[in-house]
Amino acid sequence: MTQAQISKEDILAVLPTVAATIADALGCDLEDVKPDASLIDDLDAESIDFLDMVFRLERAFKVKIPRGKIVENARGTLTEAEFEQNGLVTDVGLAQLRSYLAEVPPDRFKTPTKVKDIPRLFTTETFCKLVVAAQREVKAAG
Amino acid sequence: MADHFAAFSFVDRIVEYDAGRRACGRYAVPAHIDAFPPCLVAEAVGQLAAWVAMAHVGFRGRPVAALANETRFRSAVAPGSTLDLAVDIESCDEHAVAYAGRARVDGTDVIELVDCLGPMLPVEEFDSPAELAARFELIRGTGAPAGRFRGVVAPRVVRTAGVPGVSASATLFVPESAPFFGDHFPRRPVFPATLLLDAQIGLAMGVATEATHWPAGTAPAPSRMTHVKIRSFMPPGAAVDIDAELIPSGPEGATIRLAARMDGKTAATARLEVVAVATATVGAHQ
Repeated sequence: MTQAQISKEDILAVLPTVAATIADALGCDLEDVKPDASLIDDLDAESIDFLDMVFRLERAFKVKIPRGKIVENARGTLTEAEFEQNGLVTDVGLAQLRSYLAEVPPDRFKTPTKVKDIPRLFTTETFCKLVVAAQREVKAAG
Repeated sequence: MADHFAAFSFVDRIVEYDAGRRACGRYAVPAHIDAFPPCLVAEAVGQLAAWVAMAHVGFRGRPVAALANETRFRSAVAPGSTLDLAVDIESCDEHAVAYAGRARVDGTDVIELVDCLGPMLPVEEFDSPAELAARFELIRGTGAPAGRFRGVVAPRVVRTAGVPGVSASATLFVPESAPFFGDHFPRRPVFPATLLLDAQIGLAMGVATEATHWPAGTAPAPSRMTHVKIRSFMPPGAAVDIDAELIPSGPEGATIRLAARMDGKTAATARLEVVAVATATVGAHQ
């Protein structure tokens, strides 16, 4: 999931529905759901909210978004050992994470980054990209 | 454990079963109890979905707490009725089960659940996987003995603040001990979310009844509950602050926003929609 693969236009096409869905799931004001808003730190999302948002987005866009695999996907082609050591993201893992989450402002990546804190990086735009990727899978499946 | 599968279990028998996809079941509401509120009917539907989900993952996980996007209240269930339960499983894996379901009495819908999602947690934290598997075989086969449920003593709810017809706040005191904890759950007692919702509906209906915008000859009745989200486990002895805030949606309706907080943190949220019904039919909806 990189900027080269998913364009700004792709993001903008789904953003209004994604933002409205997030606002509904979190019970917050739509105007607070900015593209770069951290779902956890800015919008107070918890783990159950992530399930809820994915569930609602699947319905809104008629796609399937694998639950529990968002962090796994962030690892890309790296093995678990290459990506993390003792719960901390490795240097090569962090480079992969920055690439995968290219929409996240650079100053939000901490060194070291704990694996369990990766969801803190997810933004509204991250979920837009998940939706676009899921839409492409539907299209590819015919 | 005497109360296991008795004090808070609402599926006597599974009569149709398509593994991981669909099930129909029955539950005989004991005639000797005082009432069987809509939230327990919803619990019965959710428990049927939970059996399908647990069996699907080999009793390694079970849905605990839940998201329920929409619950439609159709009519009341009288003690002595038999619930015909049905669930359709949209998806189920080690992370979550997504389902819809309904309960009928004598061919008439009494409740419908739409777009529900239960996060799956490790079974062994809450219950014995072997005992659950054995129970599943029993209810899939000859069925469990009916009539073991003895009712639920409502938790103490003390109203603390509010504006009549607009809002209300109260504290719900989860009992330190209760028979339902033997069933929900044997290894980790958790106050059932459906009992919390029942108490919240009670608080909300108090506010709705106090509101003055209802047309003459009508009274408010719950029509559906949406946006149910359970965020925290409520242990025995917990003090849970519950709030209800009414927002009129026209002369014949209102939405009541419900929240529950424990230790200053949001534990659950939901919305209850109420509609004006002719006074003579209000009881049929509650």
